[in-house]
Amino acid sequence: MSRKESNDEEMQFNREEEEDDEDENGRGLDAWERTYADERSWESLQEDESGLLRPIDNKTLYHAQYRRRLRTSSAARIQKGLIRYLYIVIDLSRAAGEMDYKPSRMVVVARQAEAFIREFFDQNPLSQIGLVTLKDGVAHCLTDLGGSPESHIKALMGKLTSSGDASLQNGLDLVHSLLNQIPTYGHREVLILYSALSTCDPGDIMETIQKCKASKIRCSVIGLSAELYICKYLCQETGGSYYVALDESHLKELVFEHAPPPPAIAEFAIANLIRMGFPQRAAEGVISICSCHKEAKVGGGYTCPRCKARICELPTECQICGLTLVSSPHLARSYHHLFPITPFDDVSPSVSSDPRYLPKNCFGCQQSLLNPGNMPASCVSCPKCKQYFCLDCDIYIHESLHNCPGCESFRHSKTGKRGHGVLLKAEEKVHYEAREPQSNLEMEKRSRDLRKGESPQEIDLQDTINKEIKMNHLDEGKYQVALRRDSTPKNKPEFIAH
Amino acid sequence: MKFQIEDVTVYFPYDNIYPEQYSYMVELKRALDAKGHCLLEMPTGTGKTIALLSLITSYALSKPSNPVKLLYCTRTVHEMEKTLAELRFLHNYQVKHLGPSARILALGLSSRKNLCVNPRVVSAENRDSVDAACRKLTASWVRALAVENPNIPTCEFFENYEKAASDAVLPPGVYTLQDLRAFGKEKGWCPYFLARHMVQFANVVVYSYQYLLDPKVAGIISKEMQRESVVVFDEAHNIDNVCIEALSVSVRMQTLEGATRNLNRMNQEIERLKATDAGRLRAEYNRLVEGLAQRGNLPIGDTWFANPTLPEDILKESVPGNIRRAEHFLSVLRRLVQYFKGRLQTENVEKEGPVTFVASINAQVGIDQKMLRFCYDRLHSLMLTLEITDTDEFLHIQTICDLATLVGTYTRGFSIIIEPFDERMPHIPDPVLQLCCHDASLAIKPVFERFQSVVITSGTLSPIDLYPRLLNFNPVVSRSFTMSLTRDCICPMVLTRGSDQLPVSTKYDLRSDPGVEKNYGKLLLEMVSVVPDGIVCFFVSYSYMDGIVNSWHESGILKEIMQHKLVFIETQDVVETTLALDNYRRACDCGRGAVFFSVARGKVAEGIDFDRHYGRLVIMFGVPFQYTLSRILLARLEYLRETFQIKEGDFLTFDALRQAAQCVGRVIRSKADYGMMIFADKRYSRHDKRSKLPGWILSHLRDAHLNLSTDMAVHIAREFLRRMAQPYDKNGAMGKKTLLSQEDLEKMVNGVGDMLF
Repeated sequence: MSRKESNDEEMQFNREEEEDDEDENGRGLDAWERTYADERSWESLQEDESGLLRPIDNKTLYHAQYRRRLRTSSAARIQKGLIRYLYIVIDLSRAAGEMDYKPSRMVVVARQAEAFIREFFDQNPLSQIGLVTLKDGVAHCLTDLGGSPESHIKALMGKLTSSGDASLQNGLDLVHSLLNQIPTYGHREVLILYSALSTCDPGDIMETIQKCKASKIRCSVIGLSAELYICKYLCQETGGSYYVALDESHLKELVFEHAPPPPAIAEFAIANLIRMGFPQRAAEGVISICSCHKEAKVGGGYTCPRCKARICELPTECQICGLTLVSSPHLARSYHHLFPITPFDDVSPSVSSDPRYLPKNCFGCQQSLLNPGNMPASCVSCPKCKQYFCLDCDIYIHESLHNCPGCESFRHSKTGKRGHGVLLKAEEKVHYEAREPQSNLEMEKRSRDLRKGESPQEIDLQDTINKEIKMNHLDEGKYQVALRRDSTPKNKPEFIAH
Repeated sequence: MKFQIEDVTVYFPYDNIYPEQYSYMVELKRALDAKGHCLLEMPTGTGKTIALLSLITSYALSKPSNPVKLLYCTRTVHEMEKTLAELRFLHNYQVKHLGPSARILALGLSSRKNLCVNPRVVSAENRDSVDAACRKLTASWVRALAVENPNIPTCEFFENYEKAASDAVLPPGVYTLQDLRAFGKEKGWCPYFLARHMVQFANVVVYSYQYLLDPKVAGIISKEMQRESVVVFDEAHNIDNVCIEALSVSVRMQTLEGATRNLNRMNQEIERLKATDAGRLRAEYNRLVEGLAQRGNLPIGDTWFANPTLPEDILKESVPGNIRRAEHFLSVLRRLVQYFKGRLQTENVEKEGPVTFVASINAQVGIDQKMLRFCYDRLHSLMLTLEITDTDEFLHIQTICDLATLVGTYTRGFSIIIEPFDERMPHIPDPVLQLCCHDASLAIKPVFERFQSVVITSGTLSPIDLYPRLLNFNPVVSRSFTMSLTRDCICPMVLTRGSDQLPVSTKYDLRSDPGVEKNYGKLLLEMVSVVPDGIVCFFVSYSYMDGIVNSWHESGILKEIMQHKLVFIETQDVVETTLALDNYRRACDCGRGAVFFSVARGKVAEGIDFDRHYGRLVIMFGVPFQYTLSRILLARLEYLRETFQIKEGDFLTFDALRQAAQCVGRVIRSKADYGMMIFADKRYSRHDKRSKLPGWILSHLRDAHLNLSTDMAVHIAREFLRRMAQPYDKNGAMGKKTLLSQEDLEKMVNGVGDMLF
């Protein structure tokens, strides 16, 4: 009896304490509780053979995932949509304020969106992005379609507060109305970064999904916490992809998967000619009325070749005559998507057990392929030239370089033997200037990462020159026309300024 | 694929097979070889049905000289259709590989409600009225009249069927109920009678439990089945309850009033008949003198009810003289009804055995045991004589006779309980007289004796050693299989404490504690914000659910829950529940998310699947013990202890845990699916409770998940959902082989052979 009483007292006491807690703050979690409930730092450690603790090694796992993706995506010679109109829909509902990602979901999402926008324009210079946010049950268009990364990022970073519910239907409706206006050759895409686990819709979302499907809008969703049926259905119906992020780095990977252009929808991908303008850079010091900002501007800018209106940035559509305006490097930089290099084969350390046959160094970066202690590490080899590469170079070659150093060097020696002529020799020269012998590769890789933040365009130029010349070599009629018109040295600086 | 199990070539319609399916077939084959009964537990979603079907049909094919017949019992019509669809797929495969010699006849059998094609009949609202409407058109005397008078309506489908006579056969093939209807429409034959006729010749018959277990129905449908049959009870975890219900009758005030009305009507009929056609009554009398009503001589359309007792208990002697005359029999019934009315007037709960009950009937109204035993058959005969077709009106008097016959036949395993009001609502008088059967083995005994192999299988049969004791049989094989999974797609958790570390439980002294109610509410609230799409909650009873939902409503928790997900509640009204389920599914489909509150042992817990996004999480609030103060349960427990030496506690725990397992098993219906299960009660962490869960749940219940508080459970849920949302690799990337191809299987079999020899 007495025990029961004391129990009751205790409970009473506990309850009072609880009420105090609730009064203090809504979340009701102290710092120590949070480390226990949310962070659980001990789970990112694992024990190795000798009983030492070390962080879980995800590298090989990630590489395996990457290779799987590569294999599925790069079936050779698939027609791809290079002119993309992409809306990024960012969920800023209540759920985006949750702190299971540090510091909060929306900050992480914004960070990845920023990186993605830069990468996207890097890979798809002909494409445009717009931003939409979901908040308080409504969808709000943050920026219109445009080709300038900075303006999007600025707009996004200024709007980071979360509240209310998310409505997928409102978001899709808005995007649908916006994307429905764009010309048919463009590929309409939506990338939804969805934090919430439900959607509060005013009507029947199935209708909206069918509408999107009818307008050939490819919707992809990246979830932040768990699989949501409606998202899965949406992606299935519209041909997009649906993934759920495990943590921040995985989220980054998933977002970046959307940077290379997706395969074109078959029934939609009829080859046709598109009228494009290649505007000249306006002379310095000329005052003109800008057609995009509706105000007088001094210097800079481009002039539409058809109506002579002034435009601030490329690529865009002329506000006056509706002509698509691009510059030739844009076209050139999109080119590699059409001819991807084949995925490299895995070389498992156990198969090539004879140490004599093992490659010692990576053909790309010349770094040793052996682990500390002379244990062979996993590496890959190009199926064409049979050279070996390390895993880092593998990713770099496929994602950034788009040339196999091994194949390139062998091809050049071959063509040299056949003695094709002056043109090729000249080309070779430029080629080597642009991208030095392979030993330089590693240096470039590093410096590239360093410089990327400052002015990515500058480095891109090197790649661009490469590509342009390669293209000439491959003799693709349509693009050549474009190039010839633009290949005057005058246009090069344009590109840097852009 | 095609493979060898000992001497049987098994034709399996898929390219790959799960390892557990293979071992299931091996065990089943052994039971068939031994011509014995078996008990097999295999989790849902592992393809039990197809494994069963393909093994048994292949077994029959491999022994063409003495083919076994398969009687497959399902619980619902929906399951019946699903089974037949799978059988058709299998049959096509077998025919493709073996040629026309593999052709079999397989059909489903159901009530007229599901099979009738006559638009005038099938439009009636319930099963009994469809039956009655059919009889109005097809009874032999109606048809005899119609021959003379063309204005009397008959059923053209039945007439055509009768005309075709022995030509009316189904060509070999697999017929679902839908196919039967289509076939019947095309040929103009009545599908119901055609199916009933063809059942004797079919290789596979799929029908409901009642056709074998309920003696009233089994006597008509299943008596002609040969001994070389394999009987399968699928989803049989509740088979003991089905057996008990088949032999239990309850009588209320309405029943007695209805019975009185029926008797008056019959009296009028007798008077009328006496005036117009006295010969018919005399003929009946003569027949009864000769012996029991010869059911064999009656046309098939007229046998609509058989004796409610079991075949060997039916007396093979003639009806006692004092109820042979119609008016005498009526007065006996009248006295019986009057006696029941008197008993229902009581203020106290009364409980007595059948022997005392019969003795008191004899003493008070002078009806002896032998007369009671013949009530049902005598009533049947009388109704045929009176040419009564609207049998749905006469259900009340049938119930009375049913009870009389049962109580006159059995002296053990039953008891009579009279309750003046419902225990939970003592102010509303609702007297009820119940004849309760306590012994599940009574109803199933003839099935075990008549057929050479009986297979009892389900996803939850744990603990597997209890069923043979409850049903009183000796299985030659009893095994439980676990599921081989490519990933840990189920995540059971035992939650013992709320976030304030106080224990949660629905134990009687704790359940109304506001702290516990609040902790349960907080648990659900946390979960709705973490789990996408559908969540299903099971409570221990309707009253508990009402109470806790009320208290959540008052404390505002319900409102907070509704911000995340819509809330739907199961009620005792079937229509309302169906509507709620419908809307629940819609809310899950459109991404709004929903919570379904349901009750263990309710309709939803038994028959509705919450697979895929319809149920990502199921929370079992409390341990679903039966209402332990119920007289019926107490009487049954006493009987079990005395007869089978099963302790009360053991049986109650077993029953509660099988219900809990059944509830949580609703969320996972295939290997590609995933779901979490939370057992929210501190009693689940005790070993004696937990160990009664089925093996496939236990094997996923990690030690770390045995004693969780709310916050830990939320964290685990989050991690689990993220992991499960990753793309699913069907073949099992992590080195676990869960799909065996033909080569794998051969290798495995050879490997085992090497080990043996």
